Amino acid sequence: MISLIGFSGLFFSFLLSILIFVIYFFQNKKYSEKILYYAIYSSFVCILISFFSLMFAYINSDFTNYNVFQNSHSSKPLLYKIAGTWSNHEGSMLLWLVIMIFYNFLFSFNKTLDNNLKKLTIFFQTLLYLCFSSYVLFASNPFLVNSIEMNEGLGLNPILQDPALAIHPPMLYFGYVGFSLILSLAIAGLILDKINTKWILVTKNWTLFCWSMLTGGIALGSYWAYYELGWGGWWFWDPVENVSLMPWIAGLALVHSLMLTQKEQLLKRWIVFLSILCFSLSIFGTFLVRSGILTSVHSFASDSSRGIFILILFLVITSFSFIVFIFKSTDSNKNLNLLFLNKTSTLVINNILMIVACITILLGTIYPIIIEVISNNRISVGAPYYNSTVLPILLPGFLLMSVAPALSWQTNKLPKLKSYLFSFILMSIITLLVSYFTFFNTWGFIGIFLSLSIIGASLISFYNNYNNYGLKKFIIYNNALIAHIGVGIMIMGITCSSVFQSESNLSFSINETKEVNGYIYKLEETKIYNKKNYQELVGVFKIYKNNKIITKVKPSKRYYNVSKMITTEVGIYRHWFQDFYIILGSENDNKWSVKIYQNPLVNFIWFGVVLMIISGLIGIRKK
Amino acid sequence: MNKLILSLPIILIFIISIFLLIFLLQNKDPNVPPSALLDKKIPPVNLVDLFNDNKLINLSNLKNKEILINFFASWCAPCKVEHPLLFQIKKQNPNLYILGINHKDKKHDAINYLNQDGNPYDFVGVDKKGLIGLEFGVFGLPETFLINKSGKIIYKYLGPLTKKVITNEIQHLL
Repeated sequence: MISLIGFSGLFFSFLLSILIFVIYFFQNKKYSEKILYYAIYSSFVCILISFFSLMFAYINSDFTNYNVFQNSHSSKPLLYKIAGTWSNHEGSMLLWLVIMIFYNFLFSFNKTLDNNLKKLTIFFQTLLYLCFSSYVLFASNPFLVNSIEMNEGLGLNPILQDPALAIHPPMLYFGYVGFSLILSLAIAGLILDKINTKWILVTKNWTLFCWSMLTGGIALGSYWAYYELGWGGWWFWDPVENVSLMPWIAGLALVHSLMLTQKEQLLKRWIVFLSILCFSLSIFGTFLVRSGILTSVHSFASDSSRGIFILILFLVITSFSFIVFIFKSTDSNKNLNLLFLNKTSTLVINNILMIVACITILLGTIYPIIIEVISNNRISVGAPYYNSTVLPILLPGFLLMSVAPALSWQTNKLPKLKSYLFSFILMSIITLLVSYFTFFNTWGFIGIFLSLSIIGASLISFYNNYNNYGLKKFIIYNNALIAHIGVGIMIMGITCSSVFQSESNLSFSINETKEVNGYIYKLEETKIYNKKNYQELVGVFKIYKNNKIITKVKPSKRYYNVSKMITTEVGIYRHWFQDFYIILGSENDNKWSVKIYQNPLVNFIWFGVVLMIISGLIGIRKK
Repeated sequence: MNKLILSLPIILIFIISIFLLIFLLQNKDPNVPPSALLDKKIPPVNLVDLFNDNKLINLSNLKNKEILINFFASWCAPCKVEHPLLFQIKKQNPNLYILGINHKDKKHDAINYLNQDGNPYDFVGVDKKGLIGLEFGVFGLPETFLINKSGKIIYKYLGPLTKKVITNEIQHLL
């Protein structure tokens, strides 16, 4: 029954979108505008009904629904029953539709753009929605009914049963799918030839919002990988991470070039290109993940017919967009005011670097596929490739970032040059001294230097820009600096947690103590707990420093009865400046093998990301 | 010239898509690692009959027959889903010897399961401790192997069989 309601909701929203599509061509008729908007609202309501009925089926453990049967179990906690709605292929595609129409719904309240442009944007957004909803209807229906009676479901993969992962997909989708609106805006703007200041302002706001959400989504995923996978790191250059990083970088480039255009009315063609690129990369990523072409932690049930469907969608949408781009895009005849060191030139360099980085990642991600098609050999491209190609590309960009916001648009001069120079010299001396007294490492040196100079220069710019217009205005106008400080803090975290990480493999018997880097670790006892859907074996560790107890850490192993899977739960003690990260291994002759990591400054990464998101959201207020 | 540069992204997209399409059509699934046993002889294990403890067969003695080995258990829901399809295979290929291996299951449950849903197997062997599954490198249930007349493993499928898999892959090999 509930499946029927859900399916009807999906189907009606599809029909209503066709109505929006048709009514666009009868614009001059009386009432047509009203009908258009009401169709958007009701289509949104229909898809919400559909989505919530799937959620209801999950909460109720309604195993007559095939999707629920495949991905849920009655003993799951409520939160994961709710999150179960989108932690599988079909459900997540339904969420995709909800968000896609949600953006259309929100955009229909826009009052800045002129009416024609607004309607054409809605038209294209609806067209995109029709493409994806036909995919859901015909190839990935979440409302299929089970052919046999089932009393119990197959259960959700235990490593996905985690609070961070419950909100990771919706947040990520707000970014990923939101780029569809940017694409619609770009194509509508191109066709009506209305890429003007208003268009740029609107696009900037939506891009900032989507980009901030995408940042949050990626960070949540990476945070989850850090404490759930138990590999000691937080970024693994997994194909799925890469495909989310590519639209993120493109979005970042877009945000920056939109700023350039706002001030000087330039680079129109480039921003339209980036607007199209963002959503193209989103669909491309979706294709790579959903077709089962890549092996990764996100292996959805693979089905090549689905893959072909998404590939066709990708081809149709991107080639249509780029064809419009080829024939309609015009560049303004003003030349760029490129000087040796002014805001325009640094922004252009930063855009080039980002796109090169994006292409490098793309190449690494699809290279194995191309090689396998040509030579039938299976190869893998891993972290060493990305670390040695992407990082060096980004370095000059980071260096420029420290001064770019302070540069002028028109001249080569940097106001108050001396203070910046002084801070650079000071930072390099500090970094040199620090690395002399600890131990020298090239990457460590570069990373700490970059991070300190970005933070230092941004703080100086903050100080220089200070005026008496009031705090709120001051923050809105300097929000780029906040983001850059966030990046600086993040680079610090990334550098320290990767370069200065310590890893030790030890074995403990009960009550045995061992010393790692001046800290004493003691395995006090092991306990077994019976929880609702798993059994847990916990090792209780105490950490001492100078004979004083600092904390207790409880790494564990869980056995999930339903899926018969064992997962390793990392025990982490988060200290301000370092994480103590303990993984419980196997037991042999009453000795437990234990892996201990000390990860310095990991918290800085999350803190930096939060600053970036906040700054992105503040930027929406900037006119 | 200008138009050519502008067309670069679309050209690139087409080239990439062609590679992806070829890859998709080859129907490779990276999640299923190629079995180390493919093209090897079947492991020479002894199987005890589920219905009769005194009846034994040795796999390496089953020569000159095409065999389909299907690992299953009564507690495995996907096995229940694929179960009717085994009858279909049997109907289409009367000469195929279908061997069921009951993996980590209770004898009583297994017999009940086959009584309820029917028994498509020519022989059902017991693998109570999962040791035979270990010999075959079984990842999860159900798992299906195809053995040719000279006793070599020529095909392996992980997960419940579907009509598509049977018509597109298994029937081609028989």
